[in-house]
Order: sequence, then structure tokens, then C-alpha cells
Amino acid sequence: MTTKKIFDKVIGIIAVLMLVASCTPAATEQPMEEKPPAAEVSPTKVPPAATESEAPVAAEEQDFTTWFEYDQNNEDPAADGRVGNKYLRDTIPQFNEAFEGKWNWVNQPKAWDKMEAELVAAVQAGGDVPDLYQMLSDSVNTFYRNGTVQNLREWAEKQSWYADLDSSALAACKGPDGGLYCIPLAQRPNTVFVWKDRFPDGFPKTPEEFMKKAEELKAEGLYAMTFFASTDKGGNGATRGVFTTFASFGGGYDDGKGNMLLNTPENVKAVEFLREIVAKGYVPEIAFAGGFQEEEAFKDASAGSFPTGLNGYLYMFPFTAPNGTKYEKNSSQDFLDAVAAGDIYISSFLSTEGNKPGCDTKAVGVAIPVGAKHPEAAHDYINWIMTPEQNADFVLGPGAGFPALKSTLKGEQFQTAFWQEAAKAIGNSACRPWYGTMERPTEAKAIIMAVVHKLIKESPNADIAAELTKAQEEYNAGN
Amino acid sequence: MSQEQADIKQGFRTKMFTPFWLILPSLLILFLIQVYPTLYTIVLSFQDRFPTGWEFVGLANFKQLAGSSLFQKGIGHTIIFLIGYVFLTTVFGFITALLLNTEIHYKGVYITLLFIPWVIAQIIAGMVFRLLFLPDYGLLSGIMQNPSIFPPNGISVLTATAPQSWFGNFPFPPSPAMYLLILASTWRALPFVMLLMLAAMQMIPRDIMESASIDGANGWQAIRFVLIPLMLPSMVVAIFNLILTGMNSVGIIFSLTGGGPGTSTSLLSFALYTIGWGQLRFGRAAALSMILALVNWLMIMATLRITRVEERSSQHV
Repeated sequence: MTTKKIFDKVIGIIAVLMLVASCTPAATEQPMEEKPPAAEVSPTKVPPAATESEAPVAAEEQDFTTWFEYDQNNEDPAADGRVGNKYLRDTIPQFNEAFEGKWNWVNQPKAWDKMEAELVAAVQAGGDVPDLYQMLSDSVNTFYRNGTVQNLREWAEKQSWYADLDSSALAACKGPDGGLYCIPLAQRPNTVFVWKDRFPDGFPKTPEEFMKKAEELKAEGLYAMTFFASTDKGGNGATRGVFTTFASFGGGYDDGKGNMLLNTPENVKAVEFLREIVAKGYVPEIAFAGGFQEEEAFKDASAGSFPTGLNGYLYMFPFTAPNGTKYEKNSSQDFLDAVAAGDIYISSFLSTEGNKPGCDTKAVGVAIPVGAKHPEAAHDYINWIMTPEQNADFVLGPGAGFPALKSTLKGEQFQTAFWQEAAKAIGNSACRPWYGTMERPTEAKAIIMAVVHKLIKESPNADIAAELTKAQEEYNAGN
Repeated sequence: MSQEQADIKQGFRTKMFTPFWLILPSLLILFLIQVYPTLYTIVLSFQDRFPTGWEFVGLANFKQLAGSSLFQKGIGHTIIFLIGYVFLTTVFGFITALLLNTEIHYKGVYITLLFIPWVIAQIIAGMVFRLLFLPDYGLLSGIMQNPSIFPPNGISVLTATAPQSWFGNFPFPPSPAMYLLILASTWRALPFVMLLMLAAMQMIPRDIMESASIDGANGWQAIRFVLIPLMLPSMVVAIFNLILTGMNSVGIIFSLTGGGPGTSTSLLSFALYTIGWGQLRFGRAAALSMILALVNWLMIMATLRITRVEERSSQHV
């Protein structure tokens, strides 16, 4: 066969494959048309909030552009962001109706793990930026350093809802200069999800109690705990179970002055604890695989507990309880059902003497990027979503935490077993943002998780204090 | 000046400038997508972002990069990966091409089947291998983690850490995940290399190989002293391509190992992605991309030099 013939054949194969690929519809691709709001979400008609920026009646309707991590056009019930997708699908028409003739909400869906970088790059390059950006308060310091979002403090303080904001939610949105770089809508603290049959007497209160119970579970071929123990996702594990452990031992990641501080006696003890539970086989191997696959061991109850964000329930399903009960609606309802049935409960973490169980908390909020074309539209939106009805809808949907408005928390919707257990667990804990005063959290979490992984998995005999010092010096060299 | 002279001058001008006008659009596009970004990257590599804006920081980005563990470890991992990936792909690509160059039935079917990995996106290839080797839940985990097959405790390919290094800080032997990364990358790149080599083999006149045989060369000698030297230009193209794709590959690492366990599969290209788009340190990422560009260039030059020497020596044979 000649070369030409081979190439001709290959080109032919590629052409056929491309044709086949282009003819096969993507599983998640959905028609662009908007569906009317689903029955279970009551349409909340709220009159447009009167703001100083209200446009003249005769003015033409303008686009109000947002970047949310959810896609209103994606109706795939198995999509990761299905709760948020549905929320937007239901809410966009409500907003457009409330602001008819003034604003037309156009959401541009963004990937949750890329949108931060995309916004920073867009602002710095002078490209198109949205009028409003949905964010987690983890990004505040990054945005502050990169001059990405506007300081809303002066404007926010004049709004009626400002006094009703929970103080810790508000604090999470503040930058190192005291400016307010996001408006919190919900708070997402970390808790521990626990299988009742694995820990029938409650989650252990101390490391000693935990070790004893973990040994009993191991004898049954089970694991006491799974957690995000890999270095995947840019070191995201450092914001989850690892921080919960550090904080519960009285430690943390920073010195309160913008520097990383890892080498403290408390942190050394926390690493010793993590090292021991890994070495003794109380943690499944899947915990180190990344890709959020550590959840698998909790879903099939082979691991008895799982320290993670409260919003974790949105993404985990189905479940098989230790007693064989299957929760397989394949939605976030599975977790809520398991909690209501008493198979799963929500707890605070263990702690050492003199310390409260620790955890990370973050605010889910919105920000106005520098260079936004219609900041007044964003102001109108914020005033609209800060009404108790809209705030509750957001929190019960993608917010998946506690309402940032104190008045919303009193609503009937938040009196179920899930919310009450979560409130109790958080009440017993001392939660704070994991990054503290560090201005480069994205860099910090990668360094922290790399050293923790090294100490608990790669080099279980390495000198903890020396490695922690090395890691903090690496970060602080960039200050 | 006479009319004739003016016409000649005009004709000369047209002849002189027409090619310039014809290539101008390409030059402009090249400038926009190649030259400007390169210049911007150079400028960026000497700057850092502060709340007050961009500031000139001299060589600070390079200095911080040199002190970062991600970069230091990334060098060793990249070397290991490149050696494994380029060697395996070249060798298996050559062997497969050699087999396909014989008179066999259904050759077209084999080529079609062998070509499938090349049309699969890197990120998908990574995901497929990941699903096979996921600890406890992967399709092959029952075999890999079986102590009776892999004593004493079985192997959890994606999470097992590397054994004690033989050479201080140099990461050799690598972690099992690095072997898997090399395997997956080789699997995906093999069709391209195989096809290049097959094309090169088929361009060699059959009588040359027959004369070698008549002259008493055995199979290995014919391959070593006749086939390989004649195929060298195509092999160089394949090796160039493998070095460049290997040096700059991110997608397969992203979906297969995420750079882990720890940082054991975090190559420099992945570190570049992490520093730029994960940590948003654009200045430092620009500095790293400058270094990577330099390394790419050096490796290509080295390959060229080695193969020229080979080419010359083969001409003397």
C-alpha cells in the first residue's frame, strides 16, 4: 500500500468519525427554550426595589449579565449543578417579570472551578465582564489582590437589609482592607456527616474516643472516616477535613498578619492524628484518589463519617445505609431522606481539650466586577434577592447553607431535621474562613495540601515540624 | 525619465512588492497570535500583581519559581515522563509499523482500530484510564489490589506513593501513577507515530531491503543498518512531536491523576497550568512558560544534533 493510500484512508476514517461525533447529541445538551417555573418552587413576585438608580420608565430594556456556575438551559437531572440549574430556570423569569421594561437577566453559565480565573483574566485584559458574579468568599482575597471586584461597602451600608446580615457572613466577604467585596447570600460551614449505625452513640468528642471507635470499626472491615485527602483540585482538601482537623486541635494556617503559620504545636498534633488514622487503616484508599471520589466510601457506608461542606448533600447520591436501606432517588433528596429517617446525622468534629471543634465557613455571595457595564442592574438584583422570600429560595436551592439574613433563618422552611441538626452542629463549633489573613489563598491551599499529603501518606516518618516550616517559608517568600 | 523606463520601474515595483502584500495578511495574523503573545509573556514574566496594580519586580518571579517545590519536583517528573513516553511510543510505534508493513490480511481494519486512540481527546483518554484504576471502585481494582496477584498488599495505582528515591531528590523510581500516565499517554500517541513510521517504511524501495538480504544481512542488521537510517527523517519528526506534546501535555494529567498522588505526576506543563489558572499568578506562570519554551527549544536542538550525527554516520556506512 502506498503512503498516499494510507493517508487517504486515515483522512477518510477521521472524516467519518467526526461526522458520527457531530451527529450524536451530547447527553447534557438541552434545548435553549426556557421552561416555566416548576410547581414546587412558589413564584415569588417582588416589586422592583426602589433604588437611586432606577431607570426612567421610557428607557429601553437592557441586558443584565451574570456569571453563575449554573446553567439554566441544562435540564439534565444527573448534572452536578442540577439544583442551581433549576433554581436559575425558575428565578430568571421572576426577575425579568419584576423588572420588566428595565432589565433582562442574561446568565452566562461558567464552570465552577474556572470562573474565578476567567473573571480575573477578563478584568485585567479589559474584556467583557458580567454585571454580577456569583462567588464564594474564598475568592475575596484573590479578587482583592487582583483588583477584580468593586468595594461595595459604602453602597451596602445604606441598604435596608444590611443590618439584618449575619456578622460572620459579612466578615467572610470583607477583604484585608476592610472593604466589602461580596454580598453574602448564604453561609456554608463545614460539618461531619455520620452514619448512625457506625457511630450510634454520637460522633466521638475527642481524638482518643475516635481512635477507640475506629479500631472497632476496622475489626468489622469498615473505615471510621473518609475525607478529601488528595492534592487534587489545587489543594482543595486543605479547606475541608484537613482544616477541620487543624482547627479542632486549636491550630490554623495563618499568623493573623498575612503570613502562613503552620509549624505550631497544635498543627503538629493535628498532623500526627491524621497520620495515625491513615497508617492504622481507618481511612479508605479512595480518600487519596481526588476527583471528589472520597465520597464513594460514605455513600456505600463503608466509611462511617465524612467531614465536608454542608452543601455536600447536593452532590452526593445515592446512599446505601448500613442496615441495607437504599436512598436512590438520585437527587439531593436522598441525603435529606436519610437524615429524616435517622440513618445519617450531622455532627460537629472532635476536639482536643480546651478547644471547640473547628471548621471552615464560607459565604456564598455575589460581587460586582470592576468594569461592569450596568452596576445599577446588579444593585437592583441584590436588593431583590435580599428580600426574605428570595433569600430563602436561594439558600434552599444552590446556596445550600444557612441564610445570610438573620430574619430568613426564622422561616418555617429552616425548621426541618436537616437544618436543625446542622444548626446544632455549627453551634457547637468555632467556624472561621480557612485562609484567615492570607492574601493568596489559591497558592496557600496548594502548598498546605502538598505538605499534609507528604506527611500523612508519602513520608509517614518525616519530621512534621521541619516540613511544616519549609512549607510556610515557601509561601511567605512570596509576601 | 522616458515612459518605457517608468513602466519598467513600475513593473519592478509591482514585482518587488506583490509578494509582500500577499504575505501581509499571514504576517499580521502571525504577529497577533504568535509575536504579540510572546512579547507580552516576556513583559509579564518581570511583573507581579498587587492590589495597586501591576508592578515591575525584576527577576523575582524566576527566583520564587526556583524556590517553589512544585517547580523543583516538576523538573524531575518531566524528565522521567519524557524518557518513558518518548522511548515507549517510538519503540512500540516502530514495532507496530514494522508488523503492518508486512503482507497481512485486513491491514486496513488493523490500521483503523489502531488509530482510534488518536481521535480520542486527551482528557477523555485520561478519564477512561482513571475509571479503570480507581482504588476500590475501579474496573481493574479487584486485580490490581489483589495481594495474591501483586504481593504483599496489591497496588493502588492512582494513590500509591513512590518508593524511596535512589538518587536523592530525583524522583526515581517513580510512583505507580507515573507509570500509568506514561502508559496512557503512549496508548494515545502510538497511532500517530505508527502511521508516520509506516509511511516512511513504505517509501523505502523494496529492492534496497532485498539487496541487504542478498548481502547477508539478517533481520536485525537490515533494520539497524538499512531501515532505521533511511527512516531517520520521519523518526525525527515523530520524536519532535512526542517531545513537544509530552512537554506541553496537560489534559491527560488533569483528568487521570490531577498531578498526584502528592505532586508525583505534576509535570512542568501541569505546574504551569496550576500556577497560572489555579493560583492566578500570571507573572510567575509567564516566567515558567519562558523557561519551558527555552527547554523545548534546547531539546529540539539536541535531537536535531544527535540525529544529524546519526545521519552522517549512516552515510559513511
